[in-house]
Amino acid sequence: MKDRLAAIAAELPADYADIRFEENRKVRILYEGKKLSEVAMTAMSGGHARAYANGGKAISSFSDPERAGPIAESTCNSAALVGTLRDKKLRLAEAPVIADSFLLSPAQDPRRISLKEKLDLATHYNEMILAEPNVITSQTYYDEFASRRVFVNSEGSAIEYELLNCGIVGFIVAKKGNVVQRVRFAFGGCEDFGRLLGREDDLKKQIVKACELLDAEPVKAGIFPVILDPSEAGVFIHEAFGHLSEGDGLQNNPAFRDRLKLQTDLGRPILNATDDPTLEGRPGHFVVDDEGVRGVKTHLITEGVLTGRLHSRETAAEFDEPLSGNMRAVDAPFTPLVRMSNVFIEPGDSSFDEMISSIDHGYYLVGSKGGQTSGDQFTFGAQWGFQIDNGRLGPMVSDINMSGELFSTLQAISMVGDDLRFNERGGCGKGTPMQTNRKSGTGAPHVKIDAVTIGGV
Amino acid sequence: MHALIEQARKTVDQAELYWRRRRTLTVGYQNYALQQVEENDLSSVALRAIDDGKLGNAYGIFPDVNGLIDDAKASAGYGDRATFSFAPAASYPTVETYDEQTAQLTSQDLIDVCETIKGRIHKALPDIPFGIRCQAETSDLLVESSEGAAGESRSTGFGIVFGASFRGVGTRILKGERSISPFDVGGSLIDEFIEWYRWGEDTSTPSTGRMPVILAPEAAFLVLLPLLMGVSGDLVSKKTSPLLDRIGEPIFSERLTVIDDPLASGDPNGRPFDDEGVPCAAKPIVEKGVLKDYILDLRSAAALDRSSNGNGFKRALFGGGAEASPTPWFANPQIEAGDESWRDLVSGLKEGLLITSGMGFHSGNYPQGQFAVQAVGYHIIDGAVVGRLDKTMISGDIYKDLQNVRAVSRECRPGVGSLLSAGKAPYILLDSLQVAGA
Repeated sequence: MKDRLAAIAAELPADYADIRFEENRKVRILYEGKKLSEVAMTAMSGGHARAYANGGKAISSFSDPERAGPIAESTCNSAALVGTLRDKKLRLAEAPVIADSFLLSPAQDPRRISLKEKLDLATHYNEMILAEPNVITSQTYYDEFASRRVFVNSEGSAIEYELLNCGIVGFIVAKKGNVVQRVRFAFGGCEDFGRLLGREDDLKKQIVKACELLDAEPVKAGIFPVILDPSEAGVFIHEAFGHLSEGDGLQNNPAFRDRLKLQTDLGRPILNATDDPTLEGRPGHFVVDDEGVRGVKTHLITEGVLTGRLHSRETAAEFDEPLSGNMRAVDAPFTPLVRMSNVFIEPGDSSFDEMISSIDHGYYLVGSKGGQTSGDQFTFGAQWGFQIDNGRLGPMVSDINMSGELFSTLQAISMVGDDLRFNERGGCGKGTPMQTNRKSGTGAPHVKIDAVTIGGV
Repeated sequence: MHALIEQARKTVDQAELYWRRRRTLTVGYQNYALQQVEENDLSSVALRAIDDGKLGNAYGIFPDVNGLIDDAKASAGYGDRATFSFAPAASYPTVETYDEQTAQLTSQDLIDVCETIKGRIHKALPDIPFGIRCQAETSDLLVESSEGAAGESRSTGFGIVFGASFRGVGTRILKGERSISPFDVGGSLIDEFIEWYRWGEDTSTPSTGRMPVILAPEAAFLVLLPLLMGVSGDLVSKKTSPLLDRIGEPIFSERLTVIDDPLASGDPNGRPFDDEGVPCAAKPIVEKGVLKDYILDLRSAAALDRSSNGNGFKRALFGGGAEASPTPWFANPQIEAGDESWRDLVSGLKEGLLITSGMGFHSGNYPQGQFAVQAVGYHIIDGAVVGRLDKTMISGDIYKDLQNVRAVSRECRPGVGSLLSAGKAPYILLDSLQVAGA
């Protein structure tokens, strides 16, 4: 396949063209309550072609590998058409030609574990959840994604590489009277199946929290100082800042480009943020991206100053900044986008106790519950929280969603903890159509923000 | 019968095939410049099998057919007890879903449509980061089962979404339309975009407290997605729905009627059959505030000792498609129009909000009817818009806050750019929602 695609790419009528072909396997096991709703396997193959011609760009996805040649050629023609209608021609940054293989061999390879063993593990955790009296139902989901990819381009790169991750994720749903609460749990998120084993104590903690939430009061609406736990702070740096470090989002937005020039002051000197795909065992680990570029560590914020950005070859040329290797597609039908790998806040020197005692009236928010961003506006939820009154943790609160504006919120980060932790499970949605990427990790220590808006009763 | 079903029947007791070929042509503009042309041709397949009383699933994109059957059989070996049979033979309603003109569109045709919109907006707002996405789609869908279901349909879709972020910030405004046939975007929609964009050039933050809120059609997902969860046979059968045992009871104000109408002619969400091969039908969900029925797929229907009412779709809040399991989902939800002009709703407010979207919806407890989102929209004072909302969140519970609906507009539109890709809704004026602001 690689040689055939390389021969096609070499002859395409374009300034630049590439073809990516994937053969992917997925395994899904889903419990919904006692019911084993699904044991499913997916086999998918498909390709994606991109072309730059005459300063224009076109892309195509296809199912049938026999049609790769004519589809790639048609893509080149479309790119040339786009070029005739653009005043400003698109360019690509130069990148090294890579002819290599990057295959994976994790300690416990999920591809070599039987379906029965995976099912037994999901069954075990699901039964643990359902054994709790207040739990009315559960969702326990094992998923595994194994992708073997071939990438070739018209410059001579020819790469075979693999992506792999497995995880167990789900919800514990507890009910008391008319109150229903859900708490999420997640293990794994990397190549190693061993990370999923022996997690009973971690699961038990989440089950206890789901039950405690039934007696928690809904959070009050208003503007408060908050402390985010590492899980929540990791999602914050991903949602609020990370997406604005992706070059493709800024490329055609002059206002944000202006506000996010390198060397701009974004926060206090205690704030440092990094993207690093080289961190093995984290969800966002990879060697080469889906544009044939090696992923490298990028210091995004250094002592409060914007020092780096994530790029494709196109955006690196546009911004005249170094390549970072962050151009990734989740699956065969999709085009690559600039995406974070493992993004995290570097540890500071504040202790958790110091942070709590610094707040007269606010909240300690725990556990990521997803988020959304639109430019400088962000919103994200917390699984649960605690009131902070007079420097002490108070009662538990529920139903927490918060929002803010990036630039003022980054400046409002007044304390950074010394306890960096990474979330195990990755996840990020981006693009139209939405590409939901598991291979996107987050991490942070505890972080204090002086003011965020909280939606509540 | 499809060859794959016949082949599967040799090794399993029952089989169901979902096969879809989707060809799309998309042109995208950003910052007033053509960015790229995208042309996709993708086939996806799902095979469900019941073997020895157990259910198995396999999915593929251009897969090896024999491998697909082997995977489905292996999956059934570990699968749960099948509580239902695949759909039997049925006659399907006729729904107008295809227009040959759409199928013949070229990238140049789509570029021409976009250039017209671009030209009109550029005259009024030359320095905004304006973008357009125009897509033509042709889909072939086949759903067959060994029990006799044999649905086959061809459909087209033509959609345009355009909009821009407000200058210097990420908050954006989107407008759009969709049909099965090509169309020119009307001047009124373009004029409305220009008016709304200008409304938002200044910001305003309301004070914290309860106040009247108008939900625009684009924000109807704040109501329809929690309602979808509430009427889902899946949640009802698991007894986690807040609408459990409430059929026949009032759940909303009597001003609200919600129907699910997959038979709407010329609507790109029209469907003669669902993703399990069960005939689709138009049905009231909420009539004058009273809950009329749940929506069911084969599995939840069996759990509730009923028949599927044709709402088994491979959809999800994010994602969906061949890989998703069928689950109860709206085909094409419509909140019925009222009789007032939406502009009168705005001009009648002393202070209130016009909400066009809400960020962070999925982080909330929406299956129970609750939402707490960053409010995207406008602040109204003395009957006039004073600016776009800034630093504002709204939160509510549809089963409490929709008890008091003051008015519903006569204008009804698709919720373009929202989390819910299908459906239409009017502007809905709620007596009050909780607002977190200054």
